[in-house]
Amino acid sequence: MDNENSNSITPETGERTSCKSEGRFSPNAIAELDEIITHYPNKKAAMLPALWIAQREYGGYLTREAIREVARLLGRPKAEVEGVATFYSMYNFKPKGKHHLEVCTCLTCGCVGAYGVVHKLEEMLGIHLGETTSDGEFTLSEVECLDWCEAGTVIQVGNKYFGHVTKDNVEMVLEQLRESDDHTSPSLADDIVKILLPKGEPKSKVE
Amino acid sequence: MAELKLLLKYRDVPGIENIDVWESCGGYEGLKKALTMERSAVIDEMKISAVRGRGGAGFPAWIKWSGVLKHTDAPHYLICNGDEGEPGTFKDRELMLKLAHQLVEGMIIAAYATNTDKGYVYIRGEFVEPAKSVRKAIDQAYAKGYLGRGILGREDFNFDLYIHMGAGSYECGEETALMSSLMGERGQPRLKFPHGALPVDAGVWDSPTLINNVETYSCAPHILRNGGAWYASMGTERSKGTKIISVSGHVKKPGNYEIELGTPLMEVLDLAGGVIGGKLKAIIPGGSSVPILPAEKCVGVNMDYESCQAAGTMLGSGGFMVFNEKTDIVILMRRTAEFYAHESCGKCTPCREGTRWMFKILDRIVSGSGQPSDIDLLLNVCDQIDGRSYCPLGDAAAWPIRAGIKNFREEFEYWITHKKSPIGGDCVPPVPYRINPALIPLS
Repeated sequence: MDNENSNSITPETGERTSCKSEGRFSPNAIAELDEIITHYPNKKAAMLPALWIAQREYGGYLTREAIREVARLLGRPKAEVEGVATFYSMYNFKPKGKHHLEVCTCLTCGCVGAYGVVHKLEEMLGIHLGETTSDGEFTLSEVECLDWCEAGTVIQVGNKYFGHVTKDNVEMVLEQLRESDDHTSPSLADDIVKILLPKGEPKSKVE
Repeated sequence: MAELKLLLKYRDVPGIENIDVWESCGGYEGLKKALTMERSAVIDEMKISAVRGRGGAGFPAWIKWSGVLKHTDAPHYLICNGDEGEPGTFKDRELMLKLAHQLVEGMIIAAYATNTDKGYVYIRGEFVEPAKSVRKAIDQAYAKGYLGRGILGREDFNFDLYIHMGAGSYECGEETALMSSLMGERGQPRLKFPHGALPVDAGVWDSPTLINNVETYSCAPHILRNGGAWYASMGTERSKGTKIISVSGHVKKPGNYEIELGTPLMEVLDLAGGVIGGKLKAIIPGGSSVPILPAEKCVGVNMDYESCQAAGTMLGSGGFMVFNEKTDIVILMRRTAEFYAHESCGKCTPCREGTRWMFKILDRIVSGSGQPSDIDLLLNVCDQIDGRSYCPLGDAAAWPIRAGIKNFREEFEYWITHKKSPIGGDCVPPVPYRINPALIPLS
């Protein structure tokens, strides 16, 4: 089960962790997960939320240690957790740049200039699609429909959408991001975890 | 029939995301009225309204509702499908972002009608801002006693509503795949019939489950407030009420427009300010999954389930994409095929292999290496997928390609013969340059 040679999750950081590790979930993260588990009839259903918490706690991507910790916390096989995590495109298994530019090139955006935006970004950043700049600031990707087609071309960066982007104004997007510590992969995961948690008075439970 | 705002009526009211403002616009009155009625009477109103599922399939909503209520021996679950991912569709995003209370009220009404005490709003992971609005609406509804135990003094009605965020998967918009995802699994579909079970009988955790689209639930407060007969007075004989159409592409004013069902298709185009950048070439009226209509076939078509079907396309989810004469249909179809190949969950062979085959063949044509036999090969692959896949994703991948060939066959032939776009070098989407630049002569 515990196959250290598995290459489906790349050990890109060279981190070697032992099974004894207690993991990196903070007490607050554990408390969040405990609350979320009460939303479902069983622990397994908290898999996606737990992976979101893990993505935040592990700095924006899921290492093998992260998968192992989620498996331990939910009492599920590690292979199952890895199987679920790899199905979804928003869980990362490699460190991304601080700002991950995800340009929608789907039908509408593709017809109103998205490819021009992609090519301009490649030029400005000196990288191709799928690559990260050498300073670790930007990763550039293409994504499927972000469902904000009326504002095409749309770029998602972490928890922020930029709309009406053209090859002529895309430079402003980069300038805005260069000065910002927001809209990173961990901040996206953090936003999502907060959305899952009810606010205010602890409410009565219906069981 | 024309623009008719019902769900979007209060979209631009300042502060409408707050419960007080929503209440001042008549919000939660539908719920209050529902609570004075028998559960089955609420479903009767839905039946009279004849509202159909707005997620794409157009299945009568009340049948699902009564299917859940009839089970008395197991816990029920309520799910809202907010995993909007259909290219060209963006109505649920706006409904959740600006009118989250409308959705929450609709879900509480549905929970009462189906005797359900637990519900989930499944929202796609990318929708952070819309999900924040839903979070806020749920928290406010709890504070006002619309959610929780003994709702509005009714000791026999408890309802807890949670948010479940997806993590990037188009397939999870399919209802059984969504339920897999909610239960902590890969977002893959389950067999419904003949050998499986419908969600209303055995959905999440094998319990009776009501799953509806955001727009469908959002109709419920209005139907309860004003009566099913009032709702059914709008629309056509078989397509009642209104529908939100998300208009995008080569139009002057893209955005969400709510229309009375049966409104002429060309009128929707006019609402959005008409075509820009050249003459109209084609319209996809219901999201990327539905067959494309060439301009000459758009005239005379009405935006309702029956008229669209008679014209050889579908109303679908209302993702209305407009393409001008600069659009290269072959490249557009290649991009469509790429989308489905990327989003196929891989569970069944026809879809997993077929979507990749379609993409490869279309990619080859656009790379300048198309064979004369490729068109028939594509049609053959479409036939092998359509009706043979586990869930509708496979059908949805085959229909647009088949319609693209049927309506624009000469453009496919031009590409194969001349190895370049019939539109010219400034076509959209542009010729994908990465495939093999040496093979692509830009005319």
